[in-house]
Amino acid sequence: MTTLVQTLIDGVALGSLYALIALGYTMVYGILRFINFAHSDIFMLGAWFSCTIAGLLGWAVGTPPTWAFIVVLLAAMAACGLLGFIIERLAYRPLRSAPRINVLITAIGVSLFLENFGQLPKIFGNTPTKMPALIPDIALGSFAGVRLSLVNLIVIVVAVVLMGALEWLIYGTKLGRAMRAVSYDTKTAALMGIDVDRVISITFVVGSALAAAAGFLQAAKIVAVQQPAHVSWVQLGLKAFVAAVIGGIGNVRGAMIGGVLLGLVEMLGGAYLSSELRVVYVFTMLILVLLLKPEGLLGKTTVEKV
Amino acid sequence: MATLAERAKSLRPSASKMALDSVGPVVLAIGLTLLLHFVVGPAVGHSGTKILLDMGINIVLAVSLNMVNGFTGQFSIGHAGFMAIGGYTAGIVTYYGGYKLFGTTNPTGGFLGAGQWLFALSCIAGAVTSGFFGYLVGLPSLRLKGDYLALVTLGFGEIVCVLLTQSGAVVPASGIDAVPAWQLPYHVGGAVGFSPLPFYTNLFWVYLFVCITVLFAYRLKESNHGRALLSIREDEIAAEASGIAVTPIKVRAFAFSAAFAGVAGGLYFHLLGALPKPGELGFQKSFEIIIMVVLGGMGSVSGTILAAIVLTILPEVLREFSDYRMVVYALALVLMMLVRPQGLFGIREIWELGRERRKKARGSR
Amino acid sequence: MSAALHVDNVSIAFGGLKAVSDFSLTLREGTLHGLIGPNGAGKTTVFNLLTGVYQADHGTISLGSQRMNGLKPNQIARAGMVRTFQNIRLFGDLTVLDNVRIACWSRTTTNTLAALFRTPAHMAEEAAIAERARELLDIFDLLPREREQAKNLPYGAQRRLEIARALAMDPKVLLLDEPAAGMNPQEKIALRGLIRKVREQFGLSVLLIEHDMGLVMDICERITVLDHGEVIADGEPSAVQRNPKVIEAYLGAPNEED
Ligand SMILES: Nc1ncnc2c1ncn2[C@@H]1O[C@H](COP(=O)(O)OP(=O)(O)OP(=O)(O)O)[C@@H](O)[C@H]1O
Ligand SMILES: [Mg+2]
Repeated sequence: MTTLVQTLIDGVALGSLYALIALGYTMVYGILRFINFAHSDIFMLGAWFSCTIAGLLGWAVGTPPTWAFIVVLLAAMAACGLLGFIIERLAYRPLRSAPRINVLITAIGVSLFLENFGQLPKIFGNTPTKMPALIPDIALGSFAGVRLSLVNLIVIVVAVVLMGALEWLIYGTKLGRAMRAVSYDTKTAALMGIDVDRVISITFVVGSALAAAAGFLQAAKIVAVQQPAHVSWVQLGLKAFVAAVIGGIGNVRGAMIGGVLLGLVEMLGGAYLSSELRVVYVFTMLILVLLLKPEGLLGKTTVEKV
Repeated sequence: MATLAERAKSLRPSASKMALDSVGPVVLAIGLTLLLHFVVGPAVGHSGTKILLDMGINIVLAVSLNMVNGFTGQFSIGHAGFMAIGGYTAGIVTYYGGYKLFGTTNPTGGFLGAGQWLFALSCIAGAVTSGFFGYLVGLPSLRLKGDYLALVTLGFGEIVCVLLTQSGAVVPASGIDAVPAWQLPYHVGGAVGFSPLPFYTNLFWVYLFVCITVLFAYRLKESNHGRALLSIREDEIAAEASGIAVTPIKVRAFAFSAAFAGVAGGLYFHLLGALPKPGELGFQKSFEIIIMVVLGGMGSVSGTILAAIVLTILPEVLREFSDYRMVVYALALVLMMLVRPQGLFGIREIWELGRERRKKARGSR
Repeated sequence: MSAALHVDNVSIAFGGLKAVSDFSLTLREGTLHGLIGPNGAGKTTVFNLLTGVYQADHGTISLGSQRMNGLKPNQIARAGMVRTFQNIRLFGDLTVLDNVRIACWSRTTTNTLAALFRTPAHMAEEAAIAERARELLDIFDLLPREREQAKNLPYGAQRRLEIARALAMDPKVLLLDEPAAGMNPQEKIALRGLIRKVREQFGLSVLLIEHDMGLVMDICERITVLDHGEVIADGEPSAVQRNPKVIEAYLGAPNEED
């Protein structure tokens, strides 16, 4: 029982991270219909930016103020948002009317670039770094062996706040309506006077900022930040994409649900089966979804117009 | 109009055409292989041979990936995973099988001796196994339109790595008899990789498989089966409307491609004398192969061969810049998509391009 | 005369929009049958239903005595009903000749292994495919351009190539979706002759969607008129032309004829 409750808490915390990353994947897919492979690298860069910024602000030593983590979080989000904007401008926008496979290859290229450029000795280097302890590692409460750590609580709270903000942005503002219109039918949206390029730029900025938040949270949680191409980070990003597919690619709420679901499955499998095989559970789930309900849990089947 | 079968009866190829188009290239391929093994190999020495071997293996990998990413227009990014499956299967055959047959895990016999034939057989076993896995992976993902194959193959590569890491330690030769035979495939080295494997790989076998792969790919492309693949890449809906059963032949092409990756795995790992650690067979390796296909031209057999050759030699020449290799590859991919998205040769073969250019020149005059 | 194609009460809706409702049609053996209607009437959707691109919500489709419901597009094409596309869908990067050769695939018998070993049987079949493809290209006046990439052909030639490709499958029923769209007047006249000619030569039944009323009235023996997804008239050209419902449908949307 104790393990179960603990596992559920850990699962939700992990799932919130997936959900944050999955949102960026799903938003881009919803509009441009391609897997933005570079998104998981933005996530990882979010962690590196957090680390670097906290260091620059002198919080790597001593006890940083309690509000420090909010500053670093926002700064990392801003930095990655800018990066997302630049990538879209330089790499994806020129391919607006190109075949999808070309866009996919570009995305892979951008991803490879971010991974390996960051790894160069002159940039972040090849060795893992320690994330400054902005969030003290304390347990908020311990009940019958179940431990709710401050970090996990912050992860969940930040994720919920950001997702709430995104919900409001998409369903409660004029910009959000434009985003939905572009996602539904880009051509018609353009004819209705929506500035499609601007909407796409904003989508990338928002998605990248969310991924950066996830990067910050993950770094705060595991305290170590490996080199950019490290398997564990790439895998995290990928799993988040799986979460987006499971929830229904292109569907924002689906990404949230898919993320949490995946986090739970992974943690439960890890706790009760074997913790080494977590990536196996994730991809098994993906294949099951593709076989049984390829459009995802909340996705709608669409008929391609011929 | 007469039916195809009726027409075909009166169009039997002449003996000279058969010799030229059908048998000739095979003879030429065998000749080339022997030439490389007996003349070129000794002439270029040990390090030269090593480069030639790497080159050949890369050609097998790139040309086989081209059948999916080029001909069929799907996008697989887990080729290294299939390579790993083939390599491990082949390793099991030569290491444990070699012990059972010859009583030793070391290489046995000389050129074309018993050990070498076992090695060739092991590569084929690798091909069958990865082809089978290719079929399993392709079936759910190729039914769907969109980029799911990319995602699933990537995930598949990861699963393969993780599962291989979970395997047991290699049983040393002295202990093999004590382990039941059916348990041996489990003992492939875990996280440290499968070693020591017998060094069987040589120019003869590598280039024999290169010739098989290249002939396979080229003849496929030039036949109506290959054209069916190309039509899927061009327009899936029109292909389907032209009577082509899109999903089954996509899956078949994918399985074939995986099988050749399996062969390459067998060759590669018996060249190293050890299977690399599972972690080294992840995306990076897959990406290197993708880059060859994309640069050479998606759909061009000769283009990918050229790209594989260049991208094998270049890193050797530019050793001091090895830190920057992946960065340069990445930029090359992005720039290529902006400037010449179809790759160097696109769908055409190198010699066809010259012909077209001449024709254009004539036309404009 | 027996029916080459029999469609009975077929419907499909996209979300709330009933794109085609209770559509019925009998295409008699050997006839040239027109399917007309204002933009958005549901004509292309009917073709998509017939060829299995969309699945009908209800209703039956029979080609001769064979039920087509539930079959995949490639199975329907093999069964003998083939189509062209309104928004031309050629294999653009491939040559003109390849476009037609590909369509012969479903009629071939040698397998992949034979292709790899280049057996005599396979080579003979390849030669037969090429010969037949060239004959078809010749009919459509495309033989001189056989080596060009399909995407580089002028518009009218692309439309003709689509028909040639369709015919390579030995169809019984040919569905043409606006084959004259984008053609100049001379090309349209030539196309008329071509459609008649291939119908005779291949013993086809043709269902033709076309906005050019002159062409439709001239070559079709029978016409079905669609409006808002429903059949509003069906009969001989002269009768359809006088039908008040048809006149109203077209006057309601005046820019139809070009
Ligand atoms: N896949 C689809 N999803 C949603 N709506 C569709 C789809 N396919 C067709 N429609 C709708 O069905 C209606 C009929 O379209 P269709 O293309 O069949 O018209 P048409 O008669 O061929 O017109 P045109 O003369 O312009 O070609 C249109 O309103 C169209 O938007
Ligand atoms: Mg139409």
